[in-house]
Amino acid sequence: MSTGTTVKGSVGVAMKRKEDPRFIQGKGNYVDDLSFPGMLYMAIVRSPYPHAEIVNIDIAEAVKVPGVKAVITGKDLEAAGLGWLPTFHGYDKQMVLAIGKVLFQYQEVAAVFAESRGAAADGAEAVQVDYNPLPVVADPFTAKKDEVLLRNDREAKTNHIYHWEVGDKERTAQALEASDKVIKQRMWFPRCHPAPLEPCGCVAQFDTMGRLTFHVTSQAPHVYRTAITIVTGIPEDKIRVISPDLGGGFGNKVPVYPGYVCAIVGALKLGRPVKWIESRTENLTSTGFARDYHMDVEIGAKSDGTVTALKVSTTADHGAFDAAADPTKYPAGMFGIVTGSYTFPVAHAEVDAYFTNKAPGGIAYRCSFRVTEASYAIERGMDILADELGLDPVELRRKNFVKKEQFPYPSALGFTYDSGDYHHTLDVALEKIGYQALLKEQVEKRAKGELMGIGFSTFTEVVGAGPSKHFDILGIKMFDSAEIRIHPTGSGIVRAGTKSQGQGHETTWAQIVAEELGLDPQNIMVEEGDTDTAPYGLGTYASRSTPVAGAAIAMAARRIRERARKIAAHLMEVGEGDVEWKDYKFQVKGVPSKSVTMKEVAFAAYTNPGPNEPGLEATQYYDPPNMTFPHGAYIAVVDVDRETGEVKVRRFLAVDDCGTIINPMIVEGQVHGGLTEGFAIAFMQEIQYDKDGNNLNTNFTDYLVPTSLESPAWETANTVTPSPHHPIGAKGVGESPNVGSPAAFVNAVIDALSPLGVRHIDMPVTRDKVWRAIRDAEAKKDRP
Amino acid sequence: MNLQYTGEEIIPAERATVWKAITDPAWVGRCLPDVVDVTVHDPTHFDAVAQVGVGPVRGKFKFRFELMPGTAGDRLDMKISGGGFGSAIDLTAGADVIDAGGGTTRLKWSGQAIARGPVAAVGGRVLDAQAQKLISQTFANVRERLSTPA
Repeated sequence: MSTGTTVKGSVGVAMKRKEDPRFIQGKGNYVDDLSFPGMLYMAIVRSPYPHAEIVNIDIAEAVKVPGVKAVITGKDLEAAGLGWLPTFHGYDKQMVLAIGKVLFQYQEVAAVFAESRGAAADGAEAVQVDYNPLPVVADPFTAKKDEVLLRNDREAKTNHIYHWEVGDKERTAQALEASDKVIKQRMWFPRCHPAPLEPCGCVAQFDTMGRLTFHVTSQAPHVYRTAITIVTGIPEDKIRVISPDLGGGFGNKVPVYPGYVCAIVGALKLGRPVKWIESRTENLTSTGFARDYHMDVEIGAKSDGTVTALKVSTTADHGAFDAAADPTKYPAGMFGIVTGSYTFPVAHAEVDAYFTNKAPGGIAYRCSFRVTEASYAIERGMDILADELGLDPVELRRKNFVKKEQFPYPSALGFTYDSGDYHHTLDVALEKIGYQALLKEQVEKRAKGELMGIGFSTFTEVVGAGPSKHFDILGIKMFDSAEIRIHPTGSGIVRAGTKSQGQGHETTWAQIVAEELGLDPQNIMVEEGDTDTAPYGLGTYASRSTPVAGAAIAMAARRIRERARKIAAHLMEVGEGDVEWKDYKFQVKGVPSKSVTMKEVAFAAYTNPGPNEPGLEATQYYDPPNMTFPHGAYIAVVDVDRETGEVKVRRFLAVDDCGTIINPMIVEGQVHGGLTEGFAIAFMQEIQYDKDGNNLNTNFTDYLVPTSLESPAWETANTVTPSPHHPIGAKGVGESPNVGSPAAFVNAVIDALSPLGVRHIDMPVTRDKVWRAIRDAEAKKDRP
Repeated sequence: MNLQYTGEEIIPAERATVWKAITDPAWVGRCLPDVVDVTVHDPTHFDAVAQVGVGPVRGKFKFRFELMPGTAGDRLDMKISGGGFGSAIDLTAGADVIDAGGGTTRLKWSGQAIARGPVAAVGGRVLDAQAQKLISQTFANVRERLSTPA
């Protein structure tokens, strides 16, 4: 009976990305590609002062610039009730355009609307702003003194934003006191920036009925729609948010930025579409930065290396507004993952965050809310502990790993790790890298005075936010969603609440549907990013797409399968109970020759459904019961030039365990991208401010992005430990390489320098810092 | 970024001549290097637009000047603030105007500038070199205009 085409086994196939033909032919559709009749352009006037009173804003010359249509200031917005917008962290708000004073350099002060980009820029240059400079607070330790109060709009007259803690402080202190060995290290994970190649931008336009269509570079279009309603009062049904192709996001395109509000106001005021595309400098200086955590790490251990306690106290620099975009209950994100892959019996972590005169942010740059900072702290700490105990860092890790049989594992800081096999993943990595041979080579090189280092990072991530009882953004629970329609001829469309920025959703989502329904993934279209068509979802960031929306897609497909089973029974003239889904088709139990394919059932759903409901569609909202916990074993091998301080990454191996792999090629691509970012963070990237609050890294000549010439050749491999609670066992991988790699790079450099007595260098580990560390160590040795 | 400079210049003109010139906004405005426009508002205030190039930061910067001549006629202070292309420069400067004999005048001057924005990010060495150049050109212009018969 079966004649329809069945496609078997779509999950696990290294299928080429369906979206790539349009990207590699330059046919992507980005926000800046859009053009509408009568469209105006917006430019933003920004403050050169990090902290200053605004004495006067004179727009007289600006409005005379040919082509300029309007200029708006903070006072205009304040009068309209649009002076402030809530940050996605939920407990703070941010000025749309500065009111009264500016709080960071490059803060938005006025918006200019004009007939062309050039006219808008000329108009912005003609706006005359008089400032009265105020004392600058350029670091959180100065902020802590409260000698200069930055946020006089807040009731609490302090620069302290919040204190967050988790774990047992008293028992941790006691355990540290009783430990044979305690290591202490201050580590700074410096301020860096996701720097997507496409900066942020939007086009706002109202139709004749007053409905807003808002094209925007957003990783979370539905949340944007809700946020626009909260800020402007425009009902959600009068707003359509469309996020077209995105040229990277990495967390930078999660927050709602002041420019978006200004563009909407301009479009409303002038009755014409308004486009705003920020410059590279605007992106680097005013949109969400990442990290900037000063971490004091203490690890206690027995003399044999068994860990006894962990304490991490962090001072966080959040900039002028608390725009960290963390789930409401988690101001320091998932920093509680700081116990890592190890069986700490007790631990305590605390974070104190402060306002400073710097750009706001603290977003999850390719990391599930502060997981990168946590992983770096514990993985650096374990190496320092190994060094002080005279143990092999591999053996120290192995001794303290959570064992396979201990899962689900309740960590000392409150997470329940779903699954893992840390020993196996590390063994695979050691075998692939040839650890014993490297150790032998290192001994030989050290005998000759050469500096070679081997660095490890055996991290555990926590991703897939998250269960609704714990996780929300602006009160909206962090579920996600999928809607699937199968057409009469066996093709289909899946719409999801996520939004790909390069992750390959058009391919992986199709593979999941195809796997569940025995259809051809090439004929499953994926659509995301349009709030008029996609079901409500929280978007793509924090490695949550596959753990949450991927699960929703699999479960929606299974709903379709259950509906299809009834139609299959009708077609095969048997009872529904006699039909089973086997080998990617429906067959009569015990009679394999009597079967129908999903394609045949799809056709019948529209032509001959029998007593069953016609059509073949399903919608699923998925509230995950737990987070997922990907893990990995990364090994870096470096050579350090003793004379120049130059570090050469000779090899880097990443063995990732992200559970079930949907598309191995996409996973490998994700790992390559994340490792390159981790390499950049470890060795070359930092958003620096001088003591006067000047941002010193405002473009790509000062904020370095590695090309293929600088990047090492990556070696990758995988182990597979499925998540027990995810419908297809997948855990998410996009962020693991960024989370796991910085510690491996730094550990390798410190291992290379350890014969000289160097204990720690803060990132970025530039050659001048390495050169200085070598010279200082040599000078110390020469002293009598 | 803070920049501080001090120096002394001998001007080949009588002290009274020098004093009259450097307290005249229009005269001072014309001594500024690369100036493209000067607008005098009153005897102590004027605006100047100058072509500025510091590393990659290039374009027209607009500055406001306030001259603050001392009542004894032997010291001139001034405040300058302005900028362009997202940069801001605030400068305070002062000069003691001293009779140096032989028909010459000594200007013993000092200045402190604070640069903010892109112009501050280009780095101290580039900014310092540019500032030194502007200072020497300004005094060269002063010398030339006072030594040239009107």
